[in-house]
Amino acid sequence: MAEYRLDCLGEACPVPLLKTQKKMAELQVGDILIVEVDHSCAMKNVPEWARKEGHNVEIEEIGEGEWDIYIEKAK
Amino acid sequence: MKLEKNKYFKAVVKEAWPYTVGAVLLALLNISLFIVTGSAWGISGTLLNWGSKIYKAVGGQLQNWVYYSDPARLRALETPFFSHGGSLMNLGIIVGAFMASLAASQFKIRKIKSVRQVIAAMLGGLLMGYGTRIAFGCNIGAFFSAVASFSLHGWVYAIFIFVGAWIGSKLLVKYFM
Repeated sequence: MAEYRLDCLGEACPVPLLKTQKKMAELQVGDILIVEVDHSCAMKNVPEWARKEGHNVEIEEIGEGEWDIYIEKAK
Repeated sequence: MKLEKNKYFKAVVKEAWPYTVGAVLLALLNISLFIVTGSAWGISGTLLNWGSKIYKAVGGQLQNWVYYSDPARLRALETPFFSHGGSLMNLGIIVGAFMASLAASQFKIRKIKSVRQVIAAMLGGLLMGYGTRIAFGCNIGAFFSAVASFSLHGWVYAIFIFVGAWIGSKLLVKYFM
């Protein structure tokens, strides 16, 4: 079970979501992707998409206006 | 208990409000605005007004522009900043958004990642600005306020904003990612 980081800092919507979707397709089931974002709407649309896909999602606020989105590939 | 852990603080200040709450508030505020000022909400016309004011201040000539052959637009241009409702509202949006992000401790000046990102942002801005002029408004003036006024052009605008967003995202994926 590997862990990957995706640097989306400084990227505005919809780039973080598009990059996440692309990266998630490469992952194996059980792998974890940590998406680093600093755009508040990415903090909403990335988890929304991942949850709809059935993945496990957790958000951690790591600084002022900065978040790590943990996505565990479930299928 | 720390303020950040308080559930009301979290729901109101930290987290994004549900779409329904936003929609109802926007509708009520637009109705109030219409009652007080006699016109519905718009944003991009005022941005053009600001741009024109700057252009004029650095010596640009505007009197020959077709856009300003409309006396109402010329009057809006000549109104001082703090007497112009649209300017005050746009200023309010900027100040309000700034205060909201500060209150939520989410204010951050983002780093520029690449030259490509700068080009994309400037191209996007130019296309949006130009688009608002040929569509007579942005998604506020030409959609939100238009639909609320039962005007057909709001719905026509809505169809084409989807077409535009679809083409725009294809271009984004192809050239800027």
